[in-house]
Amino acid sequence: MADMTTVQRAQTHAELMREFSDSRTSCSLTKLQLRAALDAADTWVSANAAAFNTALPVAARTALSATDKAKLLMFVVAKRFKVGAV
Amino acid sequence: MATTRKEFFPDGAHFPTANFPAQVVLASGGNRLTLAYDAAVDETAYWSMIAPQGVTGALSLKVHYCMASATTGAVYFQAQVEAITPADATDLDAGTSFDTANSGNGTVPATAGYEQVISITLTAKDNWTDGDLIRIALSRDADNASDTATGDALFLAAELQEA
Repeated sequence: MADMTTVQRAQTHAELMREFSDSRTSCSLTKLQLRAALDAADTWVSANAAAFNTALPVAARTALSATDKAKLLMFVVAKRFKVGAV
Repeated sequence: MATTRKEFFPDGAHFPTANFPAQVVLASGGNRLTLAYDAAVDETAYWSMIAPQGVTGALSLKVHYCMASATTGAVYFQAQVEAITPADATDLDAGTSFDTANSGNGTVPATAGYEQVISITLTAKDNWTDGDLIRIALSRDADNASDTATGDALFLAAELQEA
């Protein structure tokens, strides 16, 4: 799995800052620090994609596409965020 | 002693066709009206006025703002002046004639929502003359290296001050 492009990371950075503003989420990082964290998270996802795939049951591992697996992970992370299980 | 020459508020602003700050109402702040300057895109708002009579001193713009979320870093604002004297060869229907940008930046408050003021000295003021038709363009230079604070800078008001 490839990292996001520089443009995609910049877009995500902007979207994240807008979400912080809209939700009035206090942010004690500068733009550069927040961007570095975002880059690191993206790199971590790339580096651990194979481990995530291995963790899935065989049926899901073989039947689901890479996009499906990404959606699965997104739903789990989103739900954990919503219920505070992070 | 400094003299207040004009005050500008969010509801008096007008905007370019693109890249302008959204009007945001702070519901929990008693429906306080603000202009939300984005942290990733340079955005601009305008205010118009007639140049008051008898201005002889240096002018500065005191920008009152608070941050939506940031508690560290700095914001970098730019103010440009457009001064149109009657009979100037400026086609108002065809373009603008803003002078070069004046800038000011400052560290944001450690608590989001707290007010702070950034002072911008209007050195470049387009040969401002009493009675001119004036526009002030206020922008956040979001991609400037000195603009380090995340999230929206919420414009509250500005004071045009004569030294």
